[in-house]
Amino acid sequence: MSNKVLVQELRRVVGEANVIDSDVHLQLYQYDAYLEERRPDAVVFVHSTEEVSRVLKLCHAHGVPSVPRGGGTNLSGGTIPFKGGVVLEMIRMNRLLEVDKGSLRARVQPGMFNLELGQALAPLGYQYLPDPASQKAATLGGNVAENSGGPHCFKYGVTTNHVVGLTVVLSDGEVVELGGMAPDTPGYDLTGVFVGSEGTFGVCTEVVVRIVRQAEGVKTMLAIYDSIEKGSETVSAIVAAGMVPATLEMMDQLVIHAVEKSLACGLPLDCATVLIIEVDGLKDDLEEQTEAIVRLCMEHGAREVRVAKDEAERALLWAGRRGAFGAVARITPSYLVCDGTVPRTTLPLVLKKVAEVGEKYDLKIPNVFHAGDGNLHPLILFDWRDAEQKARVMKAGMEILELCVQLGGTISGEHGVGLEKMDAMHLILSAEDIQAQLKVKRAFDPADLANPGKIFPAAQEVSHAQ
Amino acid sequence: MPSDVAVLRERLAALVGGDNLTADGAAYAVDGMVPALVVRPGTQHEVSEVVAACAEARAALVPWGGGTAMAMGNPPRRLDVVVSLERLDRVVEFDPDNLCITVEAGMPLGRLQALVAERQERLPLDPPDADRVTMGGLVAANQSGPCRLLHGTARDWVLGLRVVLPDGTRIHCGGRVIKNVSGYDMNKLFIQSFGTLGIITEVTVKLLPMPVCRATVLGAFTGFTEAAVVLAEVQASFLLPEALELLDPAAADLLQPVLGLDSRGTFALVAGFSGSQSTVDRQVRDLEAMVASLGGHAKTFREAESDEAWTAITNVQGGAAPDPRRVVCQLAVPIARTADMLALARTRAAAQGLAATVTAHAGSGLVYAALLPGDDLTEAGALAGLAAVTEALREEAVGVGGSLVLLQAPPRFKARVEAWGKPGSSFATMRRIKTEFDPQDLCSPGRFLGGM
Ligand SMILES: Cc1cc2nc3c(=O)[nH]c(=O)nc-3n(C[C@H](O)[C@H](O)[C@H](O)COP(=O)(O)OP(=O)(O)OC[C@H]3O[C@@H](n4cnc5c(N)ncnc54)[C@H](O)[C@@H]3O)c2cc1C
Ligand SMILES: Cc1cc2nc3c(=O)[nH]c(=O)nc-3n(C[C@H](O)[C@H](O)[C@H](O)COP(=O)(O)OP(=O)(O)OC[C@H]3O[C@@H](n4cnc5c(N)ncnc54)[C@H](O)[C@@H]3O)c2cc1C
Repeated sequence: MSNKVLVQELRRVVGEANVIDSDVHLQLYQYDAYLEERRPDAVVFVHSTEEVSRVLKLCHAHGVPSVPRGGGTNLSGGTIPFKGGVVLEMIRMNRLLEVDKGSLRARVQPGMFNLELGQALAPLGYQYLPDPASQKAATLGGNVAENSGGPHCFKYGVTTNHVVGLTVVLSDGEVVELGGMAPDTPGYDLTGVFVGSEGTFGVCTEVVVRIVRQAEGVKTMLAIYDSIEKGSETVSAIVAAGMVPATLEMMDQLVIHAVEKSLACGLPLDCATVLIIEVDGLKDDLEEQTEAIVRLCMEHGAREVRVAKDEAERALLWAGRRGAFGAVARITPSYLVCDGTVPRTTLPLVLKKVAEVGEKYDLKIPNVFHAGDGNLHPLILFDWRDAEQKARVMKAGMEILELCVQLGGTISGEHGVGLEKMDAMHLILSAEDIQAQLKVKRAFDPADLANPGKIFPAAQEVSHAQ
Repeated sequence: MPSDVAVLRERLAALVGGDNLTADGAAYAVDGMVPALVVRPGTQHEVSEVVAACAEARAALVPWGGGTAMAMGNPPRRLDVVVSLERLDRVVEFDPDNLCITVEAGMPLGRLQALVAERQERLPLDPPDADRVTMGGLVAANQSGPCRLLHGTARDWVLGLRVVLPDGTRIHCGGRVIKNVSGYDMNKLFIQSFGTLGIITEVTVKLLPMPVCRATVLGAFTGFTEAAVVLAEVQASFLLPEALELLDPAAADLLQPVLGLDSRGTFALVAGFSGSQSTVDRQVRDLEAMVASLGGHAKTFREAESDEAWTAITNVQGGAAPDPRRVVCQLAVPIARTADMLALARTRAAAQGLAATVTAHAGSGLVYAALLPGDDLTEAGALAGLAAVTEALREEAVGVGGSLVLLQAPPRFKARVEAWGKPGSSFATMRRIKTEFDPQDLCSPGRFLGGM
């Protein structure tokens, strides 16, 4: 790091071993699950709110930017230290601080993995609902920063619906409490504003989440289709029938093949698409609901509907769904995940158009996605070593996002803008909209040191030039 | 006051037409402060022009929806213009297939509900006075009702907003899809902003399918403890009530004509259930048994009767005879403390000789206490008693990480007791947001937390 003095000072705060600045080690922090890379100048392992505050005070004094990093699983370049500086490694702040069953709240450190929280709550009979498919490796801090969704969000909403309080360290080191254990804190809902801010407002060091009783019962179904259109029509039909399943997930043939290759979940290889549908809640009507859904699927052209007989069968279906990205990663050197979201009823149309984009650019585009939410994830496969192909992929990706916007949707449902979709922001936001968002950024981070250069690069440069 | 009201008046009349502008602001007084002008723009574009004109004239404005929450907040530091949204009451787009509707901000909640009910849908937000509450006001004041237990609040249902900023700029936040992380979640900034960051002109919300079956179980208990025990049992069970209200005897008495409670002086625990026939039946059965096992008396209302019961329960605090001396506070505490807080509010009020009507969204951590001084007290004595109780309750709520907010109070009371309480560590950030958006401090100046 050019700033040796800062590294010295950081070491005094967190201890010698908790600051990394050797090239070999820094390499490990120059990428995330997106495609860009940029090496940080130093990595600091933090252990407490107080430590984060002292580290950020130092960075602030030196005018050095910082980026908090959780699991590094985000798909939009959120953890890439675009302007250099310090990466805060949050993973050691991974304790569950408090579970208050009576008040239905848990207080957690941000470095805890989403799945770990689930595993800690399960024996008590409780659960935290948002469950990104990456839950094994994604942290709560990352979930908060990206406002992550997951397969159960159709019924239960996304991270923001379940986060009620935060402790945040601002880029000048100041510690602020937002929301908390009690509802409706007077003042602006800064908790709500912070969730989804992609690390650009500050570092969250504690999260208060809403927990709920585990459902009394659950039923999981696999509906198998010979036509992708029929599958996506069923999604709307289920909703139109007034049903609110917990899950409505879809995988197409390319994904099914990839999943079967690496996980062997028993999915049929000769179908066009499958829907994973889950209903949960009180036991009394689950059978009834399941029958109604099976009927609807068959009426809308399903070839077969399998109902998981036991927990093992259910787990297998979910292993396939949760492992889908990983499975696809095994059949291709790289892929770009598009995260566009559309009104649910336009799914059949948008899927057709995505396929056309694939043909136009001569690219393979498997689909695995949160159909109930209208949240697509076309995975554009390519080889990162082939620059010409990569250029085509970027064009195809942008075209898919444009499609989503034209159909009344948006450019990101759950993965965030980061570095990836900065150029697509103009598709949905006017110059005035962007200026308004930048006002909030300036209020949280006047010095522009918190994960700078993300989300709105061009506008940011304009506003700072003023 | 802006340097020249007459000039502004002409300017606004040119924008909205003379019929939609009046200098008689008596009906729009905010905490006793009468505006010089009341303007009723007819389109979102007109709202933006009106706000821009006010900004240029440095006129302080307060947006006005249904007027049901205008008693909330500190008295405005200045007030020149009230901007009424009543003419912005159109549907912009109803997309029943995608469970989504966009309306202008002046649309009353009740009308929206009637409209979407035609397609067997509903918005599960149920603040009191639904026929008057506007969608813009509901969002700006973050209002909710008993249903928040299962369905949450405005922040869980608002998909998109259009807002006119304090300088007249028009922006939009969010969209109409149910998942959206394209940039910051600006909806959250305007929900619960109480007219301090601009005027909300359009609201998009998601909707739910109408449940097939509804039922309400009322448990009446002579003792508070029994009611609280059943409450805790329900919360620890698998049951999924949509609403769970705890009413003290004074509130239960107000409901006697509708609910037909057997005896006076009972605490009532009321649970609302919705869903399929089999789940509703099972929950009704389970709760009836819990009530009986603690010696309570259970009564069940179904379908239309259940709906009527909820309308009455939701509006119970509004059912008392109007009295300008009344102070209504909202106490927010961790959920597990709700019942105790209700009991404490009663005891504290009684100790000061105040009549209290106390209700709670018992599964959500919210207690509503309406306090009224006895007729034997002097005005000064009454104010002192009310202030003592309010301050003591605030201290208790803050002590467990919560808050006390005044929903309704005479201006003289507000001169003694802060409407929102003391701001916390995030106040400097809030102030910076306010200054970024409203550098001239013209939108509802002084009304919000910390006089912001
Ligand atoms: C296989 C796979 C499946 C996925 N499935 C889903 C899915 O179903 N739903 C979904 O929504 N996403 C999904 N994702 C995306 C990703 O997992 C989520 O965005 C996740 O929440 C990121 O968490 P993380 O801990 O890895 O965060 P990181 O990638 O480390 O960081 C993400 C962002 O959060 C910021 N950040 C991290 N910690 C903090 C903190 N403490 N305070 C402030 N900011 C912080 C970072 O600066 C960065 O901007 C998937 C990703 C993969 C690879
Ligand atoms: C006795 C009593 C009991 C109550 N009980 C409950 C309860 O149990 N639960 C609960 O949640 N609430 C409760 N309330 C609050 C009440 O329901 C709300 O006041 C109401 O929902 C607000 O809607 P409105 O349209 O009347 O808004 P208004 O009163 O017109 O406005 C509310 C605020 O929003 C601003 N505003 C209005 N329209 C806009 C706009 N378009 N853009 C920007 N700002 C705007 C106003 O300036 C004002 O600050 C209670 C109130 C009383 C008096």
